[in-house]
Parts: sequence; C-alpha cells; structure tokens
Amino acid sequence: MTAAPIASPAPGIVGGAPDPPKDHRGSWVPTLSLITTRIMEIRKRRGLMIALIVVNIGIPGIFLTVRLLAHAFAPKSFGPAGGYSVFTGLVAGLMYVFGFIVAAVVGCSAGSTDLTDGMFRHLVVTGRSRLALYLARIPAGLAVVLPIVAGGFAMVCVVCVLAAPTVDSFDGVSMPAGLTLNGFEHWVLAHPNKALCNFNYSNINNVGCGGPSVRIKPGSPPPPGQPTPAQVRAALISVAEQNYQSYSYTFLKPPGSLMIDTGLWILLEATIGFIVGLGLSSLLGQRTIAVVLMIVLELILTPIFSRAHIPHFINFQRGIVGLAMAHIEPPALPLAFGGDMNGGSRAMQIVPESTEVAIIVIVAWLVFWTVIGGWRMVKRDA
Amino acid sequence: MTTAVSSPVANGRDVDRQWAVETHGLVKRFDDNVAVNGVELLVPRGCAFGYLGPNGAGKTTLIRVLLGLTRADAGTMSLLGYPVPEQRAVALARVGAIVDEPRFHSHLTGRQNLQILAAARERAARDRIAPSLERVGLQHRANDKVAKYSMGMRQRLGVAACLLGDPELLILDEPMNGLDPAGMRDMRDMILSLVAEGRTVVLSSHLLDEVERTCDAVAIVDRGNVIRQGSIAELLAGASVELQIECSDPDGARRILEATKLGTSVEVGPNGLEAKLPLGTGRDAIAEVNRQLVEAGISVYRLQEVQASLESWFLQVTSRLGSSE
Repeated sequence: MTAAPIASPAPGIVGGAPDPPKDHRGSWVPTLSLITTRIMEIRKRRGLMIALIVVNIGIPGIFLTVRLLAHAFAPKSFGPAGGYSVFTGLVAGLMYVFGFIVAAVVGCSAGSTDLTDGMFRHLVVTGRSRLALYLARIPAGLAVVLPIVAGGFAMVCVVCVLAAPTVDSFDGVSMPAGLTLNGFEHWVLAHPNKALCNFNYSNINNVGCGGPSVRIKPGSPPPPGQPTPAQVRAALISVAEQNYQSYSYTFLKPPGSLMIDTGLWILLEATIGFIVGLGLSSLLGQRTIAVVLMIVLELILTPIFSRAHIPHFINFQRGIVGLAMAHIEPPALPLAFGGDMNGGSRAMQIVPESTEVAIIVIVAWLVFWTVIGGWRMVKRDA
Repeated sequence: MTTAVSSPVANGRDVDRQWAVETHGLVKRFDDNVAVNGVELLVPRGCAFGYLGPNGAGKTTLIRVLLGLTRADAGTMSLLGYPVPEQRAVALARVGAIVDEPRFHSHLTGRQNLQILAAARERAARDRIAPSLERVGLQHRANDKVAKYSMGMRQRLGVAACLLGDPELLILDEPMNGLDPAGMRDMRDMILSLVAEGRTVVLSSHLLDEVERTCDAVAIVDRGNVIRQGSIAELLAGASVELQIECSDPDGARRILEATKLGTSVEVGPNGLEAKLPLGTGRDAIAEVNRQLVEAGISVYRLQEVQASLESWFLQVTSRLGSSE
C-alpha cells in the first residue's frame, strides 16, 4: 500500500504558519470555500439526493407522464395531463408537504452528519469558528435543496401549461376561459339554459331549469305564469354574479402570476423545512429523532392545530409555522393540508391569523432555529 | 529542516517560546468524576513527547481540553505560547491533532475529506492536500471512499489531515492503534521526521515500547494526575537498579543481601538471584554486592545490571502509586 516512503518530506510541508493578524478563522462568517465543500458533502450523499429528486421531480414526473400517456391513448376517457386544476392539486397536495419533509430530512442530515461521522472534532481543531462551521451549512444546504425543488416545480409548470385543456369546463359546462365579469354575464345571457341548469344559484323567482324554454323576446308578452324577459334577464345576471368568483378561479392553464407566487411559496416552505431540520438536529446531535419530529410536525400537529379552535390555546396555535404558511398560501390554491377549494372559505377552515402575524411567525421560526442550532454547536463538546 | 515561525504576540507581549504545551492546575470534571485533576504539564518545543497512562487515566480528556473540544473547569493553559481559550483560533492554526479513533465522512473519498478540512483552514492548506497524502502514502488511494479504508489507512488520513495546517505542534492520540508492524514502523519514522523538521509531537499512547523508541520526553498520567514528567533518560536514571546474579548459593546470597539491606527486593528466580537495589544507587553499590558475596564464600559466576525499560519504570511508578493509596 505504501508506495511512497511515509517519512519522506513532501513539498509544501515546510513550516511557516500564517500570521495571526491575517488569519480570520475566528470570524463567524463562513467562507465561500467552506460553503462549497459543504455542498459537495451533501451532494455526495447518494440516498439523500435520490430521495430529494424522487419526491420533488420523480413522483410529479411519473404522475404527469401517466396522465400524458393516458390522454394520448384515450382522450375521451382521460382528461389532459396539464391545466389549472392539475397544477393546483399537484402543488398543494404533493409538492408542498413532501417538499417540506424532504428538505427537513436534508436539514437534519446536514445538522448531524459531522457529529455522527466524527468530523466535527477535526473541524473544530482547525481553529475555525464553530459558528462559521454551522452557518456554512445553511447556504450549502439551500443551494442543494432549492434548485431541485425549483426544478420539480418548473417541470410541473411546463407540463400544466403545455398540456392544458383547450376548452374550459365550469360546473360541467364547456365555455370560454378567462372571461371578465361583463363577458361572463354576456355568455350567461346567451346560454340561459346551460347556466340555469348547471350553475349554482339561489333566490331567483320563477326562473329555473326544467321549465318551459326560456326565451327573451323583447316586445312579446310572456305566457301566463312565466317570467317576463326583464325578469329572466335580471335572474341570469344574478346567476352570473353569484358564480363569477368561482369561475374566476378556473383557468385552462395556471396564470403566470399564480405560478410565480406558488413557486416562491413552495421554495419558502422548503427553506423552512431545511432550516428547522438543521437547527433541531444540531440541538439533538442526531438525525433520526429530528426527522421523526419534523414529520410529526408537518403531517399531524400542523393540520390538527390549524383547524381546531382551542380556547386559551389560540395564540400558541398561531405560532405554528404551518398555519402561518397556510395564511400566505396563494389564494387560488386549495388548502395545503387538505380542504376545499378556497375562495372565501379558507379563513373559516383554519385558525384566523393576519398576514403580518403570519410573516412574523415565519421569520421567528427561521431565526429561532438558526440561533438555537448555532448556540448548541458552539457550546457542544466535540 | 526547521520551521520558520514569526514571533507570536499575545496581549501585546512576546509569548513564551519555550513550551509547546503548558498547563497549570487544569481540572476537568464529568459530574463527580474528575478526569483531569490539577494537571501541571510542560511540553518542550521541538521534541517528541510521550503522554502515557493506563486506560481511563484521562489522557484523551486532557487532549480534548487543550484543543477546545471541551471546556476546562479550572486552570490555565497555552498552546505554542498562546493562551487558550483566549487565543484559541490563532493557536490552533499552528496545531494538527488526531483525537481518539480518526473518523471521517465515509461516503466521501480521502481527498474530499481533506478538502473539507482544508477549507476550514487557511487558503494555503488546499495546496497541501496532495503533499500530505503523498507523505502518508495514501496518494494512490486518495480517490477511494473512506468506507473502504482499513483502520491503518484512516490513521494515515488522520495524520494527513494534521499536516494540512503545516503545524508546529502535532497532538496524536493513540496513532499506532490498528497499525500492523510495518505501519507502526512507518508511523514511528514519520513522527521522527516531523520532529527533525523542528515540529513538536505529543504522542498519547499506552504502547510503552513505541513511546520509548519514539519520544525524547514523557509524562505519566494516572487518575487524572501527571505523576512524573521529564526526559526519558532522566526518568530512567531515577529508577531502581535491578541485578541478576548467578552464584553457587542463591539462598545464602539472598540472606546476605537482605541482612545487609543492599537489596530492597531479593528473589530467587529461573535466571538466578534477582535483586533490586534502592533508588539512587550508584555503581559502587553493585561492587559492594559482589564484595559481600565473595567475602561470605559464595562464588559469583555472573553479576549483571538489567537496564531499566520505560515499561518496567512505568509499572514501578504506577504500582507504587497504587499501593500507596
């Protein structure tokens, strides 16, 4: 094994330590080389990277591929692979929750790997600030996690846009997409039977589906017992107004602004998962329990405490980061941890919280777990 | 080859250049267990210094305290003249250390592990990765994952990690563990070459034979206390003299030596009479033994002074300590 004599002097090992004044290794600011080597360390964890890619790219990719193939071979039986509803369902139902969990697993690994692998003491002996060693993991981990989350999200966006349906369907009625309220009223007036027989509405006297064919003929008196054209017109405009809000959330494809908002929201969720996982595992000094706690937080505690209105406990509930994230979720998406398509119903489904408080809670979680993890790594025996 | 070092300054004054490691009244407790108990240690610069003690004596704990891996409960210490922990970062810039079993990221290669450690050091450390690997003989296995390394290879990688900082002081905790005889010889040669370059090597070990062959000075630690320290030659000079005597009447000789109190411990063994002379006994005492036996009519066929080894001295010192308690 020993090809070269072990005692042979090697170039570069000639003594001459750096001058103390130029040596900034006591600084808490991580250097670029420290960050890049931490990126390498995470990227080389094959199992972790596979999990990250499978959840964020693989599963949505398989789902969309199956839909594409099914629609290609049996278009009458299977709808288009993309479109607005597929986008919202996939993002809020899958990418949000599992993206958080996988980011948390990466964070838990990054926070504990030096301790469990015995590298922490090697690093401490270099004299480098322990805080710098800890803080280097944050940009490094995010540099690994966020591009993959963004990549998976971009793939979903592309498929949902390119494979979107060509005709919009609202309450089972094929109709143009993206109409204004005025345009929507015109369409309803032009298709009174489709609107009255398929749309949801209430309180329209004498006008309804299933009766004599509704016709609007100005100047001709209606048969006895039938509504006048003016009554029908007023009723249809009322139907249009009652349904426009729901209609406005149906699109052939996800709008650009929604995709941008959703992308940022997903990335923020992954960032929270990573940083909380990093801090928690640094605090505990090991990965497994930290991962379990993160999963419990996301899949059990957050849905329960976000929905249950518990007296005297409400402010604690407001402090849960998942609830805060639900409050800043793009309004066009369904509630991330289950629930009806939003609109005005979201505030009724979860514990109320202002946007300002939600933002404060999110920032507090990021700061708290960064500080607590850093503090533990500074104080810990190596 | 000597190490050129700029004159370090601590708190505006020249630091003590005499000692590589200096501790005074160092204490480390783990609940009720005192692992390091008022240790006074002075390690001269430019030598190989053995830090010896039985298992559980507190060797590794002291090293961990020195390196800032854990905090001291009391006492003062300095590394290369820099007070620790006040100037820990500056001091550790000049220190390389292996503590306990050398462990690394097993999913990375040896070279990648060194890249991580070099990134935590000064910029020049990156240029020392290849020379360090070559020096420990790992250049051909540098791109293999550490998971495939033997214990000996990980020890070598640990030494390579130490060399990244071009250290003035190396602290090696049981570096011979897991090495085969050839590996131990290579490690010994490397330590000697490092000392020849002007570096200081502190070698913590329980392998007394290896320490005796490698080190110039030693400290003996037992139950958290440094009970002896100094150069090996000085320490062994203070050990009791042991004689092996082959004579015509071993039992008679034993009675004479006991009666004259020339021997502190006299036994008849397979190699003849074995007698220990009191501490500080000179060569004249050996001649006196011979004279007493001859005058008593006992024929002396062979009278040989047995050179005290570090091992026998270590056992002597630690057993005396144990019996006195």
